[in-house]
Amino acid sequence: MSVAVKTAPPFPPLRRSPQLTGALSVLAGIALWQVFYDGLARTDYFQAYAINHFFVSPWQVVQSFADLYQSGELVRNCYFSFLEFFYGFLLAIAIGVPLGFLMATQEKLNNFLDPWVSCIYATPRVALAPIVVVWFGLGILPSSLIVFLGAVFPILLNTYTGIKSVRRNLIDVVRAFGGSPWQIFLKVMIPDATPAIITGMRLAVGRAVIGVVVAELFGAEAGLGFMVYLYSQRFMPGPVFVGIVVLVVFGIAAFVALDKLQRWVSPWYAFQLQQQVQGLEME
Amino acid sequence: MTENSASKLVVQNLRKSFRSQRSAEPIQVFDDISFEVRPSEFISLVGPSGCGKTTFLRILDGLIPRDEGTILLDGKAVIKPGPDKGFVFQDASLLLWRTVVDNVVLGLELQGIDKKIARKKAELYIALVGLKGFEQHYPHELSGGMQQRVNLARALIVDPQILLMDEPFASLDAQTREIMQAELLKMWRQTRKTVIFVTHQIEEAIYLSDRVVVFSARPARIREIVEVGLPRPRSLAVKRSPEFLALADHVWNLIQEEVLRSMGREIEEGLR
Repeated sequence: MSVAVKTAPPFPPLRRSPQLTGALSVLAGIALWQVFYDGLARTDYFQAYAINHFFVSPWQVVQSFADLYQSGELVRNCYFSFLEFFYGFLLAIAIGVPLGFLMATQEKLNNFLDPWVSCIYATPRVALAPIVVVWFGLGILPSSLIVFLGAVFPILLNTYTGIKSVRRNLIDVVRAFGGSPWQIFLKVMIPDATPAIITGMRLAVGRAVIGVVVAELFGAEAGLGFMVYLYSQRFMPGPVFVGIVVLVVFGIAAFVALDKLQRWVSPWYAFQLQQQVQGLEME
Repeated sequence: MTENSASKLVVQNLRKSFRSQRSAEPIQVFDDISFEVRPSEFISLVGPSGCGKTTFLRILDGLIPRDEGTILLDGKAVIKPGPDKGFVFQDASLLLWRTVVDNVVLGLELQGIDKKIARKKAELYIALVGLKGFEQHYPHELSGGMQQRVNLARALIVDPQILLMDEPFASLDAQTREIMQAELLKMWRQTRKTVIFVTHQIEEAIYLSDRVVVFSARPARIREIVEVGLPRPRSLAVKRSPEFLALADHVWNLIQEEVLRSMGREIEEGLR
């Protein structure tokens, strides 16, 4: 009796890119923050308890950003923090990669160094920061060393596993042609371990940023961590959040840059990962 | 064993054992293996699984040291791996970060041969294995059969005296495998290489080979060397001829006996 009527679904399915969904989520979060702050500012408590010394709105953060930028304070602090990050990270690569390689290939050296690596890795690096400052004073050197302590282990350990998991059969290919150990190193071990080494660097970025902040909290005359500390002591949450946001943006940018580097250097690796994921899904 | 000097490859009294972590006594893999291969001959090695065919091939190449015995290639003792022998690995074992052409030139590159000359030569061998037009592709963009073609071209480019092939078609699907077998015979006719081909597929061994060497169960000895004698060139249809089937039956019986024998021994050992 009834006639089937084709009706449009009440809500058409939304087709959005993942990036757009992510961006919308962040914007919604910031808007919510602003609304919450404005609501708070209208209450009687706001003046009575001097809440503006504790809370801040996104818009005020933007204003603080402009102020700090114009006074040159932000640029100066970024410059110092970046230098600490750069030197510490570079040192971590310069020591972590060769040491990881040596430990993966020289069993005796590995047995000798392994307890040290385990011990220092297990030590909360934050606890080392004050003593490093005591030894080396204020400035870029101790901060870079603290960054180094944070970043070196992910790089070392990933290089180690990367070299350990170099495909045996690829080494045999070079061996079968009469290739030398040096050729095996150059033509197989390094390229095959490169994705793992870059993954180590990606993990190290986060540790290094933490290192920058920790170092500057304990003793510094400049830097983003120093800025965050200084303005929180002055009950000025605006500049504090500027420092935090800049650190976050820097961390993400470095992470993305290394991700791009990995895709560029080892395009086959992304494909392999994708296949592994598909394999897991099929199981 | 009369024309000793005319043999391409001579294997004499080869012995090998491995130390095992579980038992104090070493496990004997080969016990006194001797045979000779004529120039341009196509030889297959078959045997029950685990009899050490792959180990044997690796010893021939010099990738694994032997305990005792002599291996002579063109009258010269084989001590270490090198470009006088071409090894075709079971999985294609391509360098994933290199294009097809860069994979094929590897053997020449390792010898320090000029890049331009190497690339010119690579083009020839890529054409030989039927991959013209795929020079700039990466391994992950190729099918399993195509990857094995690259594997073959890479072994051939150094112009080895002998080609050692370790179950190269084992991971391919049945159709691709048949095509690759026919193609391999075509290339073999063109290059006249001496080939030693390890496989667990009896009909593959018979179809390709002049002689099939049947290994016994571990410790492996040569159970029998089967002369194939089917006329060449062989089409795929030969696989259905009565002569072919009789040969396959014969080899299959030999291997079955060996499998049963080794199973009996394993049970005995387990009971002890």
